[in-house]
Amino acid sequence: MSASVRSMSLTFCRAARVAFRAFNPATRPLSTGYCLRTEIRPAGGSRDIIESTEEFRFVERLIPPSRIPAPPKHDGPAPSGWTPPSDTPPSLPYMIRRSRMHNVPVYSDIKHGNQHSTLIRKIEGDIWALNKEVKEFLLGLTGKDPPTQVNEITGSIRVKGQFDKELKDWLLNKGF
Amino acid sequence: MFRATLAICGRTVVKRQFISSVSGESALPPNLRLPPNLIGVAAEKRPPPSGSDLPVVRRCEADVPAHLTPAQTWLESLGSRDSDQLGVVDLHPDVFSVPIRLDILHAVEVWQRNFKRISYANVKTRAEVRGGGRKPWQQKRTGRARHGSIRSPLWRGGGIIHGPRGPTSYYYMLPMKVRVQGLKIALSAKLAQDYLHIVDSLEIPTPDPQYLQDLVKHRQWGDSVLIVDVGEEFPQNILKATEDLKTVNIIPALGLNVHSLLKHESLVLTLEAVKFLEKKLLWHDVRYTPLYPFKLPYSDLP
Repeated sequence: MSASVRSMSLTFCRAARVAFRAFNPATRPLSTGYCLRTEIRPAGGSRDIIESTEEFRFVERLIPPSRIPAPPKHDGPAPSGWTPPSDTPPSLPYMIRRSRMHNVPVYSDIKHGNQHSTLIRKIEGDIWALNKEVKEFLLGLTGKDPPTQVNEITGSIRVKGQFDKELKDWLLNKGF
Repeated sequence: MFRATLAICGRTVVKRQFISSVSGESALPPNLRLPPNLIGVAAEKRPPPSGSDLPVVRRCEADVPAHLTPAQTWLESLGSRDSDQLGVVDLHPDVFSVPIRLDILHAVEVWQRNFKRISYANVKTRAEVRGGGRKPWQQKRTGRARHGSIRSPLWRGGGIIHGPRGPTSYYYMLPMKVRVQGLKIALSAKLAQDYLHIVDSLEIPTPDPQYLQDLVKHRQWGDSVLIVDVGEEFPQNILKATEDLKTVNIIPALGLNVHSLLKHESLVLTLEAVKFLEKKLLWHDVRYTPLYPFKLPYSDLP
């Protein structure tokens, strides 16, 4: 990984200097280093070589962005199944934010191969009200009252059992 | 407390106590000097700027989430002693109103203290102490205890068994997002405890340190003040004024850290520093995981 990153940075630096490489090794340009975007003719040198930084835009468009883009506007679910959050937050005592990739923060977890649990993260506001509603919803779904663990400090609820799809759809219907 | 004791004393005193509470004077003697951070004696609190008529001088550049409202605070000035409440400033809630996680704050503070630490303590083991290759006396018949070398750990001047060995590094890195969250929590704590002051610029009329100290005392900012601005150049007056002061310090915005925020009682930010901090700290909420280190160029770094 570090080798590939290093080679990537080396190729980047090499690509940045592509405009400065002389074709003929015998006649090198007199000025080295990074110049502004101008065409420079080396003073007193041979007239065959022109330094130009106009081609650097081909390198610049390859540099990746660092920010996650906002998703395009969809009314209702997108063809992939992704649903945008509602424009106005629902008027409930709690709020569940989307993850940085704009998904509902419900995750399923397995420990020791047989212990399934579901985690709801990024909860703000009255977490106990959400806990009560989750318990009522899962009681109606399965007929059993699932144990839950509420972590007020991190704003997360862990439910015993694998309910990530059901909880995701339930939260999407609420408008989160 | 003082008023309660007066009321208990007698009905004749009630009228005087009533007048003093109506007029707003404190019943404490006038020559009593209290430290500004004394618990139990409330500092004169300004009303929060939510219901004021002053215009909002600065709005948040980044988008505020729909379910949150920006935190508001007063805009002040260092130009004269009495110029606070010049306007109202909006602060982004994801930087200045995050839930206060003391465990993250503790972790970041401990990390800041220890990651730079290299302990140079080193002691010699019995192999490294000079001498001790020969058996001091024969094994049997001398009447003394049996020994193999004069530098064994049992001997005076001998080697140490499990002592500190060589320069030890205590370097470790907390995840970048944890350190960023620590900064956000420290800023939110300063705002919540009324220790955050926003200033339009750092121009002061004189390079006299006494002016700054009078200002801090008059406005009850606390024992120590940390002044933060963006950029490498500061006005000469404020540099000269804070040069010899131990409790009032000035740093660039890149140098803001949790330890300094906890060490100084109150924090003074300029408007550009607020903009810079919001931009840098909010970027971490919307960035990708790094494809290559962020020291190398990306197309849209903050």
